[in-house]
Amino acid sequence: MKRTTGLLIILIATCALVFGAGAKEQVTQTVQIEEEVTQMGPLNSNPLSDVRVRQAIAYAIDMDAIIEGLLPGAVAADSLTPNNEWKVAGLEAYSYNPGKAKQLLKDAGWDSAKVLDLVYYYGDQQTVDLMATVQAYLADVGIKVVPRKLEGDLNSQLWVAPKDPVNGTSAVAWDLAYAGLAVVSQYEYYNRFLSGAATNSHTPGNAELDALLDAVNKTNKVAEQKEYFGKIQQFENKYLPIIPLYYQQLFVVESDRLTRNGAGYGNEQYAYDWKIQTWDIKPNADGRKVMKANGGPLQFFEAPFVAPAIFTSQKVLFDRLIVADGGLQNFRGQLAKEYSVSADGLTISFTMKDNIYWHDGSPITAQDVKFTWELAAKVSSVNVLFSGLFKTIVGYADFNTKKTNELSGITVKDNTVTFKFASIFPNALVALSQLPPLPQKYLGTADPLQIQQSPYWQNPIGSGPYMVKEVRMNNYCVLVPFGKYHEGRGIIDEIQLYPSGESDPNLVKNALAGQLDYGWTKSLTDANALKSVAGLKVMPYDMNYTRLIYVNKFAK
Amino acid sequence: MLTYTIRRLLIIIPMLILASFLVFLGLELMPGDAVSFMADPETLANMDPAKLDAVREQLGLNAPFLVRYLRWLSGVLKGDFGYSLTSGVPIKQIVFQTLPATIELSLAALLFSTVLGTILGIVSALRRGRMTDNVLTVAGLLGMSVPQFFIGLVSLFVFAINLGWLPIGGRLRPGYESFIDRFPHLVLPAVVLGLALTAGVMRYARSSMLDVANKDFIKTARSKGLSEWRVNFIHGFRVAMTPVAILLGLRLPTLIGGSVVIEQVFQWPGIGNEFLSAIRGQNYPLVMMIAFFMVLATMVSSFLIDLVTALLDPRVRLS
Repeated sequence: MKRTTGLLIILIATCALVFGAGAKEQVTQTVQIEEEVTQMGPLNSNPLSDVRVRQAIAYAIDMDAIIEGLLPGAVAADSLTPNNEWKVAGLEAYSYNPGKAKQLLKDAGWDSAKVLDLVYYYGDQQTVDLMATVQAYLADVGIKVVPRKLEGDLNSQLWVAPKDPVNGTSAVAWDLAYAGLAVVSQYEYYNRFLSGAATNSHTPGNAELDALLDAVNKTNKVAEQKEYFGKIQQFENKYLPIIPLYYQQLFVVESDRLTRNGAGYGNEQYAYDWKIQTWDIKPNADGRKVMKANGGPLQFFEAPFVAPAIFTSQKVLFDRLIVADGGLQNFRGQLAKEYSVSADGLTISFTMKDNIYWHDGSPITAQDVKFTWELAAKVSSVNVLFSGLFKTIVGYADFNTKKTNELSGITVKDNTVTFKFASIFPNALVALSQLPPLPQKYLGTADPLQIQQSPYWQNPIGSGPYMVKEVRMNNYCVLVPFGKYHEGRGIIDEIQLYPSGESDPNLVKNALAGQLDYGWTKSLTDANALKSVAGLKVMPYDMNYTRLIYVNKFAK
Repeated sequence: MLTYTIRRLLIIIPMLILASFLVFLGLELMPGDAVSFMADPETLANMDPAKLDAVREQLGLNAPFLVRYLRWLSGVLKGDFGYSLTSGVPIKQIVFQTLPATIELSLAALLFSTVLGTILGIVSALRRGRMTDNVLTVAGLLGMSVPQFFIGLVSLFVFAINLGWLPIGGRLRPGYESFIDRFPHLVLPAVVLGLALTAGVMRYARSSMLDVANKDFIKTARSKGLSEWRVNFIHGFRVAMTPVAILLGLRLPTLIGGSVVIEQVFQWPGIGNEFLSAIRGQNYPLVMMIAFFMVLATMVSSFLIDLVTALLDPRVRLS
C-alpha cells in the first residue's frame, strides 16, 4: 500500500513537474511568438513590411531552375554575403516551394489584386529575361508584378531615404528593385540597412540590426567582425530585408601564351598583389614579348577616386602604399617599406621606400600621399571606401568646412606619413591599398571638383611597373616597362591595351581573333562563349558581387 | 542662279538654329543630368549633396533651360564649342579626333556602293526581265532588308575570325599609321555599311535607266545611227544618274549619323560611337555639337545636290 501510495505521489509529482514546466514553457513560448509576430507581421500599411510576404517571394522563385536555364555558372544566393570565409553556416536556403509561398501569403492576408512595381536599371537582354521569369514565378503564387526599366537619374529614383527612417512614408515609388551589389568588404553590404543611412530607401530602422551594425563598425578585430557579421547574416536570413538571388562571379580570360609565374588571382576590379612585372608571355614572330589586353582608355585615363583599379591601365600604371592579397585581406608594403597599426587602431603609419620614383624619374614622397588623400576629400565623386576613411581622419570636419587648409590627421615627417583617426574605420587598410598616391607636382593646381578634366589624365605619370609609351585615345594605348621600378623591371616588353569600358562588348570578338592575352568579364554569356575557345583559359573568381531584389518596406 | 544660291544658303541659318533648339529641348526632357551619370547610383547617393551642387553650378547646369541654350549658342557663334562634361576634353578636339574616322568610313562606303550599285543597276536595266535582272532584284531586296549589324557580325565571323584575312576591328594599330597600313581595317566596315546603300543605288539606277530608255532624246540618238553603247552610256547614263546623285547626296549625312551601328560592331572610333556615349551620359555640349554637325552636313548636302543636279541635267539649268 505504502509502495503504491509512494508510486502515486511520485507519479503525481512527476506529472505536476512536467505539466507545470510545460505551462511555464508555454508562457515563454507565447511571449516569444508574440515578439516574433511583432517582428514578422506587418510593420505598417505596406504588406511588404510583413516578413511572411517576403519569405513567400523567396520561396516562389526557383533560382536553381533560373540559373540552369538563364544564368549557367551563377551560384544561388541565400544571403548578401557570398560563400566565402565570412559566411555563417546553417542559413535557410528558401528553396523553391510554391505551396509554402501560397500558405505564407494566405497567412499574411495577401491581396492578390495588388500589383507590385518591380524596377531594374540594367539594359541587357539577360536582365529583361530574368525580370520576365521572376514575374512569371511570382504570378504562379498570386503576386502580380510589373517590371519597369528605370531611365535617367537613378539615384533620385532608387535611393532616397524617408525623412523618418523608422515610421516614415517611403520617398521612392517602387516596391521591388532588382540590383547588383559589388563591394570590397562586408561593411558595404550591410551598412546600407542602418537607420537613416543615406541610401536606405527600403528598410525601416530596426534596433536589433542597428545594434549589431554599430558593434561591428567599432571593431577592427577580424574575429569579432566575423562574429557580428554572422549574426547580421542570421538576422538577414530570418527577416529578409532583401531577397538574395545569385552570386555573380568574375571570369579572368588568359591566352595560353601568358603565364603569371606563380602570381595569384584576385578580384580584378580592385588593386591586389598580382605582380604583373613578373608575368611572362611567349615572344611573337619578331621575338618581342607583347601582351594584348582590354581596359585601355576611351577618351581619358580614369581617375582612381570612384573605381580605383577597374581598368587594366589603372592597375598597371600606379602602385599603392600597401597591397593586399587576392581576397583583399593580408597586406604588405608596396610603396611603403613598412607600416604599423596602433593597438587602439586609431593610428596607422607608413614609412616610404627609398627607391621609389614617378615615371618621369622624380621621387615619390610621403607628401604626395598626404596630398592625394586631401585631394580625395575634396573631389566630388569618391568611392564609399575612401569617403569612409577620410571622414574618420582627425580634423576632417574643419578641413571640409575650409576652416583649415590641410587635414591635420595626416602628418608627414621625413619619409613617414601618419594617419590619425577620430574613430575606428574598420576598412582603413583596404582603402589605403586601393587609392594610389598621385603626383602633387602634376595635380596640385587641378580643380578638385573637375579632377577628371585635368590634362594629366590624358597621359598620366604614374608609379607602377609599366608606363605610357604611346596613347591614341579611342584606338590603343601602349605601355612599356618602367626601368626604375622598385620591384624590378617588367618581363613583358610591351602591353597593348585596346579601349573598353567596364563591360567590354568586344571581348569575345577580340579573343576569338587572337587579340587578347589577358582580360576579365562579369558577363556569364561572354564567359560561356569563351570557355570552348582553343588557346584560352577562362577562370572563375568568387568576388563580392550579389544580385538581389530590394524590398521597399516603408508605408506608402 | 546666284540669287537662288544665296537664298538657299541663308535659309540654312534659321534651320540650324531651330534644329539645335529641338535637340537641346530633347536633352532637357530626358531624366537626370550630366552629374547623375558621372558615377553609379550607389556612389552618388553616398556623396555630399553640397559637392554635387557645386559641380552642377560649375558646369552651369543649375541655370534655367533657355539661359543654358543661349549660353551654348553664343559660345558656338564665337567659335567656342565647349568641353565634354565627362572628360573635360575640348569638343573641338573630340570632333577632330573622331570625325575623320567617320568621314573616311562613310566616303569609302559611298564609293563602294556608288560604283557597285550603278554598275549592277545598269546591268539589271539592260537585262530587264531576264535571269540576271531577277537575281539582282532579289539580291537588292535582301541587301536592303537584312540588318547591318547582322551582316557585320557574320562578315567578322567569316573574314576576321575563321579565315583571318582581315582585322577584327579598330582603325589604328601600334606602329601602323599610314592609310595603306590601316586599309585592311577599313574594308569590312566600309563594305558592310555600303551594302545596304548599294541595293538602293542599284534599284534607283535600274529604274532611272529604264525610264530614260524610253525618252525621245534616246530614240533620236538611236535614229542617228549611234552605237547601242554610245546611246546607253553617253546619252542615257548621264541623265539616268540624276536621281541617283540626289540619292547619294542625301545619303552622305545619313551615313555619318547612321554609321553608329557599324562603328559599334567594328570598334571603329568614329563620331557615331562618341554620339551614342554622349547621349547615354547626358553630355549635352558634345551631343549638341555632333548633332549640329550632322544637321549642317545634311543641309549642305541638300544644297550641293541642287547644284550637282543642275550640272548633270541641262534641263534643270534651262528651267
